[in-house]
Amino acid sequence: MAANSKDRRQNVVRSASSRPKGTYIALIVVAVVGASLLAYAATRKPEAGAIAPTPITVDPATAGPPQGYLNGKPDAPVKIVEFADFECPACGRFATITEPDVQKRLIDTGLANLTYYDFPLPQHRNSQPASNAAACADDEGKFWPMHDQLFGHQDEWNTEATDDPKPFFMKYASSIGLNTAKFESCYNARTHQKRIEANFAEGERRKVNSTPTFYIGDVAYRTALSYDELKAIVDSAAKK
Amino acid sequence: MTKRTIVAALALAGIFVALYLLLYKIGVVGNLSCSIGSCETVNTSKWAVFLGAPVAGWGVGFYVSLFVVALVSIQDRYADSLAMSKILALITGIGFVFSAWLTSLELFVIHAICQWCVISAIIVTVTFVVSLMDLSARRDGAIERSSD
Repeated sequence: MAANSKDRRQNVVRSASSRPKGTYIALIVVAVVGASLLAYAATRKPEAGAIAPTPITVDPATAGPPQGYLNGKPDAPVKIVEFADFECPACGRFATITEPDVQKRLIDTGLANLTYYDFPLPQHRNSQPASNAAACADDEGKFWPMHDQLFGHQDEWNTEATDDPKPFFMKYASSIGLNTAKFESCYNARTHQKRIEANFAEGERRKVNSTPTFYIGDVAYRTALSYDELKAIVDSAAKK
Repeated sequence: MTKRTIVAALALAGIFVALYLLLYKIGVVGNLSCSIGSCETVNTSKWAVFLGAPVAGWGVGFYVSLFVVALVSIQDRYADSLAMSKILALITGIGFVFSAWLTSLELFVIHAICQWCVISAIIVTVTFVVSLMDLSARRDGAIERSSD
């Protein structure tokens, strides 16, 4: 009996000694390294050597008058104003998924019109060039076809995909039937930079801080509205 | 180091990867560090939400569950448990299938790859393989002890 008890105690001691201390050390190391990397990633600033985005800094007082891009009848009873960034994924989803319905059921029917204003966010390096391309397309009355091309192919020209979006914009210009030589000249000269800056300044004046932001009447909607939501808002605004 | 310890360590690493993506998704991390692929395209696509919750959130839940089970399984009491090996293989198997589905979406639907998602897929795959090896060893009656 006493011998059995002694054996059991030895087993307990053996078991405790076989407990994998190294296992916990390894897990602690993984935890410390993981938490450090996560903290670094969450708080890091862009590297000095990285290609810095070129944020627009515009004094609203000196910026020219904003000049959006109208889609629909100018005298439509409800006016939807959109501030968007060509590189913003949520704007892209709105443009490619929701906007075809908006076009067909609200704009083509004359219930509403939509005016697009550039609001290129600083973290999206290729967004200003995209606004530039769209403005140049507008010279030939093709802002909206270029708008659709830009949002429809966001994945191939965005900041993460390329440092040089121009070849893509040239391709879109060609596909929508622009005079590519004229387009390229306009794009290279940044002919419409002031217009883009003025549109951005208008967004700042209205305290836009995310894209897309919609204004219908005096109310701001700081999210990519679904068609149903937009329809309900337009219906409500039309009754006022 | 036992196979289960490897699973626990990988699950812990996975928690941080998924947490990083989740923090981006909920806006705490402004930009993803993404030297390969298009992380933003993937993580803002409609596929980044599953059953109403961010996929990264499901990932955090998965890795935390796996880590807890793996941690329990390396305790002396369960060190020789075949049931624990089965549970680990089941959890990692579910993760592997889900991860394979997400990777196929990246390749064939979204047409963009997110490096952090790929890292997570590799972690899940390795934990699945190691868990199967652990299960196979238990079935063969082998008893694995840590060397330390």
